[in-house]
This record gives sequence, structure tokens and C-alpha cells, in this order.
Amino acid sequence: MNTALDVRELLNEAAAHYRDRPHAVSMLRECLERLEEPLRVGFTGTPGTGKSTLVSALAEWPTRALREIELSDTPAPAEHVDATVRLVRHLEPDELAGTRPVGGSAFARQTAVNSVLVLGRADEVGAGRIDALLTAKQLARRAWRENPDCAGFQGVIAVAGQLGYAGRALRDDEFEVLRALASVSRPELERYLLSVDSFVDDPFPVGVPPGSRKHLVSRFGLYGVRLALTLIRTGCESRLKLSAELVHRSGLGDLRDTLAGCFVARAEALKARTAVVRLEGLLAAEPLPHGDRLAARVERFAAAAHDFRELRLIAGIRGGRTALTGEVAEEAVRLLGAQGLAPTERLGLEPDADPAEIHAGAESALVRWRHEAERADAAHAERAAARVIVRSVEGLLSLFVA
Amino acid sequence: MTAPAWLDVLNETLDACAAHGRADLAERLRRRRDERAPGTRIAVVGFPKQGKGYLLNALVNAPVCAVGDASTPAVPTEIGYAADPAATLVGHARESVPVGDLAKELEVRPPGSLRRVEVGLPRELLGTGLVLVDTPAIGDPRSPRTAATLDVLADAHAVILVSDATQELQPAELALARHIRTWCPALVLALTKIDVSPDWRELAARNRAALSETGVVADVFPVSATVRQAAAKAGDAVLNGRSGFPELLNWVGEQAARPIERTRALAAAVSVRAAAVELVETLQTRLNAVSQDNGVDQVTLLHQAQRRAEELRRQNVRWQNMLSDEITDLLSDAEYDLRERTRMIVRHIDRTFDEGDPVQIWPDFQTWLEENLAEAVETNYNWVSDRSEWIAQAVASTFGSHYGQAPELPLTGSGVDSIPEVGAPRIERFKIGQKLFTGLRGSYGGVLMFGLVTSLAGLPLINPVSLGAGVAFATKSVRDEGGTRLQRRQALAKAAAQRHVDDVFIRFSKEIKDEVRQVQRRLRDHFAAVSDQLSEELTRQRELIIAGSAERDRRTQRVKKEIDRLAALHRKAGALGTGATPRRELSA
Repeated sequence: MNTALDVRELLNEAAAHYRDRPHAVSMLRECLERLEEPLRVGFTGTPGTGKSTLVSALAEWPTRALREIELSDTPAPAEHVDATVRLVRHLEPDELAGTRPVGGSAFARQTAVNSVLVLGRADEVGAGRIDALLTAKQLARRAWRENPDCAGFQGVIAVAGQLGYAGRALRDDEFEVLRALASVSRPELERYLLSVDSFVDDPFPVGVPPGSRKHLVSRFGLYGVRLALTLIRTGCESRLKLSAELVHRSGLGDLRDTLAGCFVARAEALKARTAVVRLEGLLAAEPLPHGDRLAARVERFAAAAHDFRELRLIAGIRGGRTALTGEVAEEAVRLLGAQGLAPTERLGLEPDADPAEIHAGAESALVRWRHEAERADAAHAERAAARVIVRSVEGLLSLFVA
Repeated sequence: MTAPAWLDVLNETLDACAAHGRADLAERLRRRRDERAPGTRIAVVGFPKQGKGYLLNALVNAPVCAVGDASTPAVPTEIGYAADPAATLVGHARESVPVGDLAKELEVRPPGSLRRVEVGLPRELLGTGLVLVDTPAIGDPRSPRTAATLDVLADAHAVILVSDATQELQPAELALARHIRTWCPALVLALTKIDVSPDWRELAARNRAALSETGVVADVFPVSATVRQAAAKAGDAVLNGRSGFPELLNWVGEQAARPIERTRALAAAVSVRAAAVELVETLQTRLNAVSQDNGVDQVTLLHQAQRRAEELRRQNVRWQNMLSDEITDLLSDAEYDLRERTRMIVRHIDRTFDEGDPVQIWPDFQTWLEENLAEAVETNYNWVSDRSEWIAQAVASTFGSHYGQAPELPLTGSGVDSIPEVGAPRIERFKIGQKLFTGLRGSYGGVLMFGLVTSLAGLPLINPVSLGAGVAFATKSVRDEGGTRLQRRQALAKAAAQRHVDDVFIRFSKEIKDEVRQVQRRLRDHFAAVSDQLSEELTRQRELIIAGSAERDRRTQRVKKEIDRLAALHRKAGALGTGATPRRELSA
């Protein structure tokens, strides 16, 4: 992929055209510098959706994948972030209608593969029943597939931010208190878990002081405490196990994977996109006498940038908006780079696979998807999707030519 | 049975609403008036996902409302008393379904096919005729669901606003509370989900403060449907107490226990007051619009008219002075011009006849004179015509660009053709006989004179010398006589030519003067007419303005009277209603 290279050339050429307008040149310089900086991801949403909780839960995450991006929970103008995480409290039509990414140029719309929708505070779904998170995940999935307002997102993910944060940073003393509580039989403990008041105020059957109970409930929420106790009873006997399970259930992991796969892996393309959108804005606001050629190059850039096509198709397949299902769909998104852009990751091979193996894998995939792309009985959309995959695999093979 | 007192007030207000084009208010009042249901109606309203369904189910201890992830129905559900549990779907027809299947049945109905759902439950609470109304969640202000909910409020006697303890009251919720409070005599806030909120006490306090800041009188009841359900299952009275529901039920009971007539009076009073306030606001807006927009304009217009009248007066003086000055100048200039031109001609005549012999040059001279006079007169005339036009323009320009059109000035024509022919002078020629006679007379004198002188020398009277002298004298006499005669002829020609020129001058200077006076008269008439027209227009305008403001005053008076009447209704309704001191009275 030489997206980044292309966009640098484009920006330099534009700067040459605008050389007698200092502010335009400095803007273009800034765009160029931005290309060297980490990807900026902005979190937006109405107050109370848990932006800050989510950002701090992710930011302190010790993985390489997220270390290279910059997360911000303060509202920033659209041109200052490369990708967006939008939070809502409920998947209600009114709330969703406000989140739909709007307008922009044809290029901006065509390449709008830079936002993820998050159903924050997923533990509040279903009045705190123990299956609340599962229900929330189902709701999110259904909304992504069925709600036209959600179609523009790279993913719709249910996340219990508070729970995920508490689970990831679970301390030994907290775990001990939870284990002590779990040792009480379920029926006996039930009435103390009925409400925050009864959990904190009532005389307790085990020696856990009200202070630590209060701490626990403020960290995990009543739902989180209930879930943690259930998990301990059903086999999470160590802090690490419980921590991992809580994080897994909270949806925080899903969000991290989506950010890593859709944003971090495509950081270059997304940063280039931001730069091109800004360049487009400049061309529209201060037209050049001979700007047509530059505008044409911007258009060509959009058409040629395969990253955006791949991302759109991944979202389409995962959001259930293509005919691909099951294993075929899995293979398709893998080849498109949903699990990583390295050839081995795309082909589903071991990281240390040798070149011959990679070449063989790529060739067999190419044959299969070429066939799909040329099937006369398939719908046009399916064949178009297959062609995108073919182009991705061809990209893999081109590495060998070099 | 006599009609209750509130009915008159309500009817009067209703009429006022209809009269002032507020059909919406009239309709709501009509619904208050025509209520036929036997009992108190309490509506439960709130935004989505606040736990409205759980609250209602916990209130009646039965799973009648859809809860959880299922989307809540788009039609109101009315829960009233029935000896046996029953549910009826009301659409085009009525259809009974088992209470237990209600949620399932509702899900499969196509949207828009139902108007409401009626549920009957054998509950003591509902025994007094109380009806609890579950409403669709409030959302987008333009959606039909929101409209359906707001519609329910028109019939409700009391409202439970539901908001959960995970978030403070939002601005939209506070606005809803204020709206409800204007139409319903009683409103409480049920703060739900307090079981999962660690800080619901602080939140309740903040919500109370927010409500009173918004000017809404409403109690706050923190409740937990989950705790209530658990308490019901365990038969635990203490736990039930903790759920917060006993207080809420207590309030509901109070509403239900009040005699329905009293409740209706209260509701009518509140509605009348709300309608009166809204109507007065409408009228006040209209009043302000009249007095601000038009009123201010009125004064400005009058001032403008005044200013223009004064301007016109000044203008009249200006153009009249200008016209008379210019015409006087023109008269004297024109005369001078003509005189100057004729004098040039006269000077030329003098020169011509100082040298030339009229006998020889007269015919040529006559042609020249006629041509030159005609030219002089014509030039003068054209010049006067140009000047007149210029004057017309100059005067017109004092009226500003709008009336700057100068009148046409058709001068009658120079009349050069009517210049009379130059009468030729009587020229006497020096004929041969006269010359002979003059020569003889001269020679006779010479012969005699020199004859006498020479006779002294002894010569005869007629001698060669005297004869010689006689010839010489004769010649001289003839010559002298010829010169004299020429001079006389010349003088005669000059006099004749000059007289002619004089005639022409006198005649045309008179003609020109007449023309100029004509021009003056025409311009004066024209501009006087323009000025009259302007001042007439101004007068008409002022009359219109004054008449308009009188009409507006009358209308304003009417509206003010109407506002007074509504304020009185508002007061009456206040006295009817709570009996408590009204918070704020209307005033015009």
C-alpha cells in the first residue's frame, strides 16, 4: 500500500500551488506533520454516556496495538481527529438519529470508514438482570444489521465501561472481598444483592465492613458485583481469571479489537484520509486558477485507495449486509485484513510461515475468489465484493514480484 | 342538579379560545368539559428506558406492561378495575385477549392498527374508578408516539413522571414537567432504579432542586420496582417499605379518594388557567406586534409626511422665485441680443451707403438686408427657445428626480417669413435737362462775373475770358450738383434701411417678449399643478395614517379588554380550584 506516499506527494504539490498563501501552506504543512504522528481517535457522545471511563479503561491498556494511537474524550473539531468512537446510552431511534455521520464531500462520504458506535453502560440494559451484557450485545448486533442509522459504522459494540475498567484493574484486596462474599450461599446472599442500599447498609452475614462494600459497589456497580460473584462461583477462582472474564464480558475487549483492526491497522490510510478531506476543504474554500488537476488527483486518490474499500467491505460483511455468511464470511474478512494486514494474518497462517507457503496460500485464495468474482449466477453486489477480495489477494502476491 | 360553577368559567374560556383562533386549546378544554369516565385518571409518562413499564407493573402487582428490551407499545394502555382480569385491544373493533398474552399480542399487531389497550384488574386500588394510563415513551417531538402521549395528558387528572436514578433530570424532562404542570393539577416525579444507583439520595435532592428552579411543584418519590417485586415474592413488608412504593401508592390513593367532582373542578381550573395564560400570551404577542411594528411605523410615517409637507412648501417658494428670476433675465437678454444683432446690421448699412450709390447697389443690398435680418431674428428666437427649455429643466429639478419631467414648450415659430419687404427709397436721378440747366446757371454766373471784371478793362461783357470762365463755372456747378444729389440719395437709402430694421426690431422684440411670457405662464401653470398634486397626495397620506392609527387604537382597546376578561376568568378559575392562593395572577 502506498497510500501514505501518494498523499504526501499530493500535499506537497498542493503546497507548491498555494505557495503565495501562507496560511494555506502552513495548514498543508500541518497535515504533512500529522501523517508522522499517532492516529487520533476522538470519543464523542452526550454527557453521561461514559466517555471518560471508556477512554481511561482503554488508554491504560498494556497492549502494543493501542499504544500507537491517541485517545481523547474532549470534544474536538472533526478535522482534528482521524477516527471517532460515538457513544450512546440506549439504542433508541431518537438517540441514533443524532449519531449518524453527516455530510461532507463525496470523498468524505465514500471513505467514511472511521467511526464505531458504542452502546455505553451496557450493564444497565434489562434492569440489571445477570444476562444484561449478553442482551446488550444482541441488541447491538441487531441494531448494526437492521437499523439503517447504524449502517455507516465500522461496528456497533455494547460495552460496560465501568465494569471493564474495574475488571481490568482488579486488585487483590477487591478479589479477596469478592471471594469472601461468594462463599456465602446464593439464596442467603440474594437479599443483600437486591439493591445498593441493602448491600451497603444491612448487617452482613460475613465480616466485610460497610466501607469496603461501598467501595466495591462504586467500582463495579451492583450489576458488576453480582456478575463477579456468579463468575467466582462458576470457576473463576483466581484474580487473573476473574479479571480476564470480566473484561471479556464487558465488551471492552471487543472494542479494543475493533479499534485495533479497523483503526490502528489502517492508521496510515485514515490519517491520509483526514489530510485529503482537509485538502478538499481548502480547494473548495480557496479555489486555485488551475485547481482542476489537483481536484482530479484527489478524486483518483479516493478511487485508488484500496484500504477504504476493504474497510467498507469488512463492515458490510460483519454487519450482515452481504450474502456472505459463516466460514466464507470469516475467510473474506480475514483476507480483507480484519485480523491484521500481514500476509500471514490475512491468509490465516502461522506467523512464522515460510514464503513458499504464503505464496501457495495466496494463489489458492486467488483462484477461489476469482471464481466467485466471475460467477454468472451471483448477484452483482456479491461479485463486486469478491473482486475487492481478489484485489487484496493480488496485493499479497505482488509482494513476491518485488 | 345544577351545573357546577367551574363549567361556566370553562365554557366561557372555551368560547374565547375558539373566537381567537386557538382551536387546539378549545379542543383540550372541550375534552375537560365532556369527560364521561367515572373515575380519576392518572397518566404515567416518561422518556424511553426509564423503567415506566416496571413501575406500572409494580404498582398493580401484575405483568401488564411490556418491560425490558422489548420496545414499548405505541398506544396508551388504560388500566382500570374489573372483577376478572381482562385485556381489550381497541382498534377499529374491540378484541379481548388474555392479560398474560398482552405483550405478545401487541408485538404482532401492525403499527397504527390500534388506538389504545384497556386492561381490567381486580385491584382494591382501582376500585374507586381510578384509571392508570401507561403512555408511549416521549421522544422525538414530531413523532406520533410523542403526540399520542401528549394527547393522553389532556384527559389526565394527575401525572406520574418517570425518570431513572442513573442520570439527573435532563432539560427535555424538565420542560416536559413544566408542560404537564400547566395542564394537570397534580404531578409527581417517580425516581426509578434506585436499587442500582449508589447515590440516588443526592440525585433525588438535585432533581427536587431542579424542579423547583423550573417552577414546577412536584414531589419526588424514589422507588425500586425490583425491590418491590422481591418484597412481594417474599411477603416482606420491611423490604416493601424500602422499595419506596408505599409512599407512591399512598399518593395515588389520595388522588383516587378525592370525589371525582372535586377532581374535575381542579382539573378544569388548572386547564382554564393554562388556556387563559396561553391565550393572553397570544393576544399580548398580537398587541405587541401591533403597537411595536405598526405603531412605531405610524409615528415615523407621520413624521415623514410632515417633513415632506414642509419640504414641499420650501420647494414652492424656491421654484417660483427661480422661474420669475430666470424669465426676467431671459427677457432682457433676448432684447439685448436682438438689439445687438440689428445694430450690427445698421452699422453695415451705414458703411454701405457711405460709399455706394443706392442707384447702383440697391437690389443687391435689399437681398442682403432681408437675409441678414431673417437670420438675426431666427438666431435670437432659437436662442430664446433653448433658454426657455433650460429654465423649464432647472425649475423641474427643484422638485427632485421624481417630478423632474419638464413640460413640452411648443413655441409658435419665429415668424421670419412675415418680415415685410424693405421699401425702396425714392431715388432721384440727375437727368440731362437738369444737368444742362445747372450748367447754364453756373455758366451764366461765370460769364456775368468775369464779363463785369473784364469790362473794367474795356472789354465787352462777353469776351473770350468771360466765356472761358462761364464754361469753367458751368462744369463745376454740374459737378457740385451731382455730388449733392448722391449724398441726398445715400441719406435717403440709409434712412429707409434703418427704418426697416427698426420696424423689424420693434415687431420681433415684441413677439419674443410675448413668447417668453407665454413660456412663463405655461411653466408656472405646469409646476403649480405638480405642486398641488404633491400636496394633495401628502394630505391623503396623512389622513390614511391618522385613520389607520385610530382603527388600530380601537383594535388594541378591544384586545386589551379581551385580556382583562381572560384575566378575570383566570382569577375565577384560581378561586374555583385549589382554594390555595394562586401563585401568579395574569394582568393585561
